[in-house]
Amino acid sequence: MWKVTVKGLLAHKLRLALTALAIVLGVTFVTGTLVLTDTLHNTFTTLFGHIYQNVDFEVRGKAAFSSDTGAAVRKPIPESVLASVRSVPGVAYAQGTVSGYAQFVTPDGKAVSTGGAPTLGFSYDPNPQLSVLRIVSGTGPTRPDQVAMDQGTAQKYHFAVGDHVRVLLAGPPQTFTVSGIVRFGTADNLAGATLAAFDLPTAQVLFGKVGQFDAVDVLTAPGADKATVQHSIAAVLPPGVEVVTGQTVADEATSSINDALSFFSTALLVFAFIALFVGAFTIFNTFSIIVGQRTRELALLRIVGASRRQIFRSVLLEAAILGLVASVVGLALGVLTAVGLEALLKGFGITLPSGSLVFEGRTVVAGIVVGLGVTVVSAISPARRAVRIPPVAALADYQATEVESSRRRLLIGTLVLAVGVVALAVGLGGGTIQLVGVGAAAAFIGIGMLAPVVARPMSSVIGRPLAALFGMSGKLGRENSMRSPRRTAQTSAALLIGLALVSTIAVFGASLSKSATSSVDEAVSADYIVTASGTGVGGFSNSVAGAAAAVPGVAAVSTVYGGQFEVQHSLSTLTAVSPQHLSATVILRMDTGLGAPALAAGQLLIDSTTADAKHLAVGDTVPVTFAQTGSSTMRIGGVFKPNALLGSYVVGDGFFLSHFDDPLPVAVLVRATDGATPATTRALEHGLAAYPNLQVQTRAAFEKSQQAQVNQLLGLVYALLGLAVLIAMIGIVNTLMLSVFERTHEIGLLRAVGMRRRQVRAMIRAEAVILSLFGAVIGVVVGTALGVAFAASLSKQGITDIVVPYGSLVVFLVLAGLLGLVAASWPARRAARMDVLSAIAAE
Amino acid sequence: MTTTTTDQPAAPAPAPGPAARAVDLVKTYGRGDATVRALDGVSVEFGRGRFTAVMGPSGSGKSTLMHCMAGLDTPTAGRTFVGDLEIGLLDDTGLTQMRRDRIGFVFQSFNLVPTLTAGENITLPADLAGTKVDRAWFDLLVGQLGIGDRLGHRPNEMSGGQQQRVACARALIGRPDLVFADEPTGNLDSNASGEMLAFLRRSVTEFGQSIVMVTHDARGAAYADRVVFLADGKVVGELAEPTADTILEQMKRLGS
Repeated sequence: MWKVTVKGLLAHKLRLALTALAIVLGVTFVTGTLVLTDTLHNTFTTLFGHIYQNVDFEVRGKAAFSSDTGAAVRKPIPESVLASVRSVPGVAYAQGTVSGYAQFVTPDGKAVSTGGAPTLGFSYDPNPQLSVLRIVSGTGPTRPDQVAMDQGTAQKYHFAVGDHVRVLLAGPPQTFTVSGIVRFGTADNLAGATLAAFDLPTAQVLFGKVGQFDAVDVLTAPGADKATVQHSIAAVLPPGVEVVTGQTVADEATSSINDALSFFSTALLVFAFIALFVGAFTIFNTFSIIVGQRTRELALLRIVGASRRQIFRSVLLEAAILGLVASVVGLALGVLTAVGLEALLKGFGITLPSGSLVFEGRTVVAGIVVGLGVTVVSAISPARRAVRIPPVAALADYQATEVESSRRRLLIGTLVLAVGVVALAVGLGGGTIQLVGVGAAAAFIGIGMLAPVVARPMSSVIGRPLAALFGMSGKLGRENSMRSPRRTAQTSAALLIGLALVSTIAVFGASLSKSATSSVDEAVSADYIVTASGTGVGGFSNSVAGAAAAVPGVAAVSTVYGGQFEVQHSLSTLTAVSPQHLSATVILRMDTGLGAPALAAGQLLIDSTTADAKHLAVGDTVPVTFAQTGSSTMRIGGVFKPNALLGSYVVGDGFFLSHFDDPLPVAVLVRATDGATPATTRALEHGLAAYPNLQVQTRAAFEKSQQAQVNQLLGLVYALLGLAVLIAMIGIVNTLMLSVFERTHEIGLLRAVGMRRRQVRAMIRAEAVILSLFGAVIGVVVGTALGVAFAASLSKQGITDIVVPYGSLVVFLVLAGLLGLVAASWPARRAARMDVLSAIAAE
Repeated sequence: MTTTTTDQPAAPAPAPGPAARAVDLVKTYGRGDATVRALDGVSVEFGRGRFTAVMGPSGSGKSTLMHCMAGLDTPTAGRTFVGDLEIGLLDDTGLTQMRRDRIGFVFQSFNLVPTLTAGENITLPADLAGTKVDRAWFDLLVGQLGIGDRLGHRPNEMSGGQQQRVACARALIGRPDLVFADEPTGNLDSNASGEMLAFLRRSVTEFGQSIVMVTHDARGAAYADRVVFLADGKVVGELAEPTADTILEQMKRLGS
């Protein structure tokens, strides 16, 4: 039986290759993701281990709480701690460090963009054993006008030692001389972040930490007992300050990066599994057709003595071999993809620390198990069908009287669909995301089972215009697609899922985009919104608000800050606005309580959604914790209607500044005397020319850029879902090839009675277009429903408008039709090339 | 080798009982007014070591009879035996084993697995059973059939006659109790037909093989030891030691 299976596989290499492609792509995706994230993980672990390998201890403020970025928020420690630490016996060397915001300006006056990575400023420690920075050329900064620059930035913008460079800071921008070029451990920069290093006193001034350190790094004397030293240091520290080993710091840094990485890899794996799910439908369909076409051969095997089990195993074995080969190819391609992605990141300026690719055993196992598993599981149902073939089917006069158990199918399909819908509803209504995934998968399988019921009438309707357009060829194509509703439905199932997901995202994205933008007009009354350009994190200089206020034509300016705090013991985002220009810049609609006066009085404002959810009202007192000032309580001064700019919790800027050390503004709102006019815009841009990292936008422009961000994200998701659609297309090519092969005789007959090659091609194309549109129409309908449900379930999270982007959906349908045409091109050519005589002679 | 096979080549066995028999076999298709009685109470025995031909016009039930007796189809009523084994009592596994070990098949067309070579097709039943092929027997069959130089070829590289000879070898390789041949010469030219029938005849005479052949060709049936005539699902006559002339005569009589 082994021989029969293997020979059968080898005899159909093309079929093998096409079917395997679906699995290859899925496994490539899985492997690529795992290799890339493992590699990044390994590189960062090595990097941080390397950086902190000489630091014995670090003295730092205790974490008030962990912020949601994974990095703990710590309070700076007083400078006096350094002297105490230095006096501890066994301490050979100790030095304070500070860090903060510092962004380079390129020679042509633009802010250095980092593609989302932070722009970091450090104090430079001249002790080479302690410094995380390694000098590549020049010297470390020793004077207030000197800065050391990371090699990544220096190379990209051609800075050399001795050049002047402007640096944007929390205060006004300043110009420095490049004293040296540094690397971060072994990397040119830290995953795309830029680094500016100043001597310690300068850094303390620039980062607003005069008389303070963020941490003190410690080296122990040779021979000193480290545990004893750590103990002794702890003894001299004031409350709220702790001493930890360098290893601990390295581990913490690594684990916070790994959290980010694991989010990244989970997101990618979700798309990989979508691709595999779609691939499973393709394999299921291919195997169903193959079993159908091999009915006589399988029956012959049964006659000469193959048992049912042998037939079953033979089909599964075929699937297993296919899955295994595809998985191995997928593994190899996955590694190449990871290499490619790394290169791509490098192209975006995100230089990663040097490190070789990590190809773990787990990756191999996962890739093969997933690829093999999906293939074999998809083949189980076709294999069971193969087992049911009676031996008499081998005989020439046997007529297949396949009793379509459509009622049973209908029942099971409805049941599976119902289970899926319920799981989806529960999942969206507050359950877990896994439940949503399982629900969606079950719903798709149910729809796949029910689709054959509507395949005939729908193909008939979709095919009518084609028949009218292409005459006989169109008509025959339509008849062919109606001939086997089950095959039509199965073939288009993969495309159905792909388009359903794309439509879901389209509806969700349009709703998100609309909600995000409609909120700007309802949230902001200012004429201009000034923010840091690009996706820059970390805000911009505090002096911007002053500079903007000085511009002629500006009536009012308000600075918006954002930070993290704990309220009622859960981490939340706090927004601060200035009370004095509140009504001129922000639209704050109060439900109860007071607005500006409450802010001025240092009270907390919350939005009505939060108030409802947490049963809070004006006059209540809630416990709060700030990283810098510790725990206290706040009185709720007012409840406002949800506002997209402000979020859930708002305080006055005065209160905020006294509870956060040197915060950076996230936005400056500007109200002009004459509204937004081109003249005012120019004046404002001119007035803020010293800050090239800023963008000055009118409300309309801000809206547009918000929309652009949503669209960019959508584009990425579409690209990832594109893989699933590609696999669906491969499935259609495969089915059409098998159909053409199956109808050799019939096509030969048509050619014999006078059908031209062009007409044969048109016939196959018409069938393909009908197949695609059938899947696409159902997919778009299902996806739209799913998207609406998804968006509606997030109404509390700020998706207030539900938008169905009809234009996009129509575009999807047209694209699906074109996809069908493309998928048909090869099978159509093959059908047209068929030799008439041999086609008729073929049995 | 299978334990059920006791016949030796070139040593015609005494016949302790029929190789297969059917008792009051009924097979109906359809329901109500549309009922077709393909077999209407057929009782027949096929002798061991004998070459029996089953003849009859189209729709007489001869193929249905063969399918039921070979366990490929289930009769509506009646009993069928291969040797003393009652087929109706077997489940699918039992039927599979019986087909594999005790019965050989030759059909009019589509006899071979297209992806396997001739040699592999011949040993397929043994491979499926996981048993060893009797090499001497294999060589003898292949030599007799004159396909020794074709063993490495795929079916589509062979003529119809060659394919049919490979199918014959496959049917005989396991020394089955009985070979069912369903119009084995239906697709062959007269030369190839003659060779095929001569070989079947020889395998009965020389190796003691039992063969049942369904045919509508009087000249082919003349190779048999005995002809059973079927019409409208019933046995309507039989003829021992037939010649083409006596068969045609009989057919004429039955047809009138």
